[in-house]
Amino acid sequence: MTQSTVTQAPVTEAHPPVAATDPRLRWVLLAAGLVAALALPWFVYPPVAMDIVAMALFAIALDILLGYTGLLSFGHAAFWGSSAYVTGLIATHYGVPFPVAVIGGALFAMVLALPAGYLSVRRSGIYFAMVTLAFAQMVYFVGYRWSDLTGGENGLQGVPRQFFGIDLVETDSFYFYYAALPILLLGMWAAWRIVHSPFGRVLVSIRDNSQRARALGYEVDRYKVVAFVLSAGLTGLAGGVFAINHGFVALTELHWSTSGEVVLMTVLGGIGTLWGGILGAFLAVMLADYLASSGFDGIDLVTGSVFVLVVLLFRRGLWGTVRHQWLVWQQRRRSRRASASADPTRREP
Amino acid sequence: MNSKQIRAGAAAMTGVLLLGACGGGGPGGSGGDFTDGKLVLAILNDQSGIYKDASGPNSVKAVRMAVADYKEKYGDKAVVDDIEVTSTDHQNKPDIANTKAKELYERGGADVILDVPTSSAALAVANQAKSHKKLFLDVSAATTELTGGQCNKYTFQWAYNTYMLANGTGTTVTQNGDKKWHIIYPDYQFGQDMAKSFTEAIKGAGGTVQGTIPTPFPNDNFATFLTKAGSTNPDVIGTMQAGGDLINVVKQFNESGLKDKGINLAVGLMLITDIHSLGVDQFAGTMFTDAWYWNMDAESRGWADRFRDETGTRPTFEHAGNYSAALQYLEAVQEAGTDDADAVVGKLENKKINDVFLRNGEVRAKDHLVVHDAYLARVREPSEVKEPWDYEEIVTTIPAAKAFPPAEASACSM
Repeated sequence: MTQSTVTQAPVTEAHPPVAATDPRLRWVLLAAGLVAALALPWFVYPPVAMDIVAMALFAIALDILLGYTGLLSFGHAAFWGSSAYVTGLIATHYGVPFPVAVIGGALFAMVLALPAGYLSVRRSGIYFAMVTLAFAQMVYFVGYRWSDLTGGENGLQGVPRQFFGIDLVETDSFYFYYAALPILLLGMWAAWRIVHSPFGRVLVSIRDNSQRARALGYEVDRYKVVAFVLSAGLTGLAGGVFAINHGFVALTELHWSTSGEVVLMTVLGGIGTLWGGILGAFLAVMLADYLASSGFDGIDLVTGSVFVLVVLLFRRGLWGTVRHQWLVWQQRRRSRRASASADPTRREP
Repeated sequence: MNSKQIRAGAAAMTGVLLLGACGGGGPGGSGGDFTDGKLVLAILNDQSGIYKDASGPNSVKAVRMAVADYKEKYGDKAVVDDIEVTSTDHQNKPDIANTKAKELYERGGADVILDVPTSSAALAVANQAKSHKKLFLDVSAATTELTGGQCNKYTFQWAYNTYMLANGTGTTVTQNGDKKWHIIYPDYQFGQDMAKSFTEAIKGAGGTVQGTIPTPFPNDNFATFLTKAGSTNPDVIGTMQAGGDLINVVKQFNESGLKDKGINLAVGLMLITDIHSLGVDQFAGTMFTDAWYWNMDAESRGWADRFRDETGTRPTFEHAGNYSAALQYLEAVQEAGTDDADAVVGKLENKKINDVFLRNGEVRAKDHLVVHDAYLARVREPSEVKEPWDYEEIVTTIPAAKAFPPAEASACSM
């Protein structure tokens, strides 16, 4: 039996280590993030703020697959959209408080993800992306054709926003934001837990070297399916809140362009950073919102250029680059300190 | 973070909270009969995507023309001086249309939203209009739901709907002698609705439908469907395809040789911009229903000349429709003396209108559908085109009463 050596991965590697940040810093960042989330609707129009947080969870859920399992899903609109429709249908037909409807939608997305994940994880890379895309297109056409249920291209209109009869939440988007925020934050916390659990470590090992993970005795495909289903569930949570926020569901939510948009957000923020998705979502949603009223008629040109710029200048995405710089700086400081100090022993083994 | 920074941050937060609390008091009572002392007309449409040419930025210019005309007509007698026209791009995304409509009503001070192509976006905006009790005048969205099952007091459909398109072409072409039809339609709700309306119209006019063929959507290859339709020797093939699919159908119809066998092509939904982009030779001889044509008489031509001076191009019926909707809204405001939505709705309902766009128009009170004369048009042969954009020949005028579905048939209850 060989001894297992714990080596600190060099930060210049393409994928930075999962948790290399100082715990104190983490708390500061967490607090800052929470304050930002609470303050957001004061600065941004509340329905747009809600979109940002929902999209952020969507990007984070995708990052579990893309950044931590190494699987590029190009069909996440299927889970986002189907949860939105199921949430909308439950809210319309049963009049339950919206969190119940959202949870129903998320569960449906997970059930849907099980066969999809089971079939698609047998392939990796571009083939995985194509299989997920094909699956999402199937779901899209079901939504398109089953117009008695979904309203077809007219969309599912007039989704109510029930919340235990509390009028302020039901009618005012500002208060609705605070009612729905805990659901999304819970989703983000779950994503963080998943990634930082032993299960998450196995995912990372699968990403980095799946053959080795298999050789170590992990059932790689099963781990991938579970990651896929969990990611779909969190996506569903976000999609459900999105549907309630807008009060209707359109086919756009199932369209492949939505799958593309969330990949873009994740890449903008930084793959494998989890929180990068928040920055990516903020940037993408704010840009679309700002440009809508700007009177400029080349919106796609601007979003495309921003994407190209970010990819060229910030290879690791926005958050990824900041974190990388921080880690490099820390490492330099540490090595400087180590060389300056007469005592070569380190605090940690 | 030291304590000073935290305190500064907390102070800033408190300030923001206070600001928000003050701003959240709802619309102010000042300004007499007009909220904020002004009138805001908001155009919400596609300024950058596939519907840009059909409506887009030039509709904003058309609405500005309407405002100028209103000011010129009433001068000092105008009940409101400060009229603002704003433009928002919904990028063909229903979510953005929904949020922007909400924001326009709540924060933009919009008294009316105009245009809104894409049916799901228009229905979402209609719901916002309903909950905010502000007006929405739809011009570019064709779904009958707006004035049917999902109608509301504050939503009007100004220019056209799918029934008008299908019924106009189906009835008129049949009456003009092409009795035997074969229909090709894209297999989703719009196509299914159109095929149904078409079939009813044809049968009502004494024609027969020999067969209907659903096709996938979107689709590139229509050759087999066209061959199948042609094999029954119909007088005319009706296609319900739109946009890019329509262009494919027309191209392949031209190449199939069916035209030489004396089979005509009738189109459900076509815009003059479709003809312009593909070339008049591709569409020559095709029949379709139009809500308005810029060169149909002296009045519309006069306006189209003004429009060309403003924009450098000829107007589509959607441009004219936006002009008409804005102008008649301003007339109704003038009559009501306020921008209060209920008062303006009261002035619009049952109003009989004749303007550049609406001929024998009437704002139906029951379902808020604006009925008016429609036109069966034939695309000219290239040799007949005498000037740019002169693509259509009006074959028949379909009177308002027959162009739109009867009020009794509407599923609307307000």
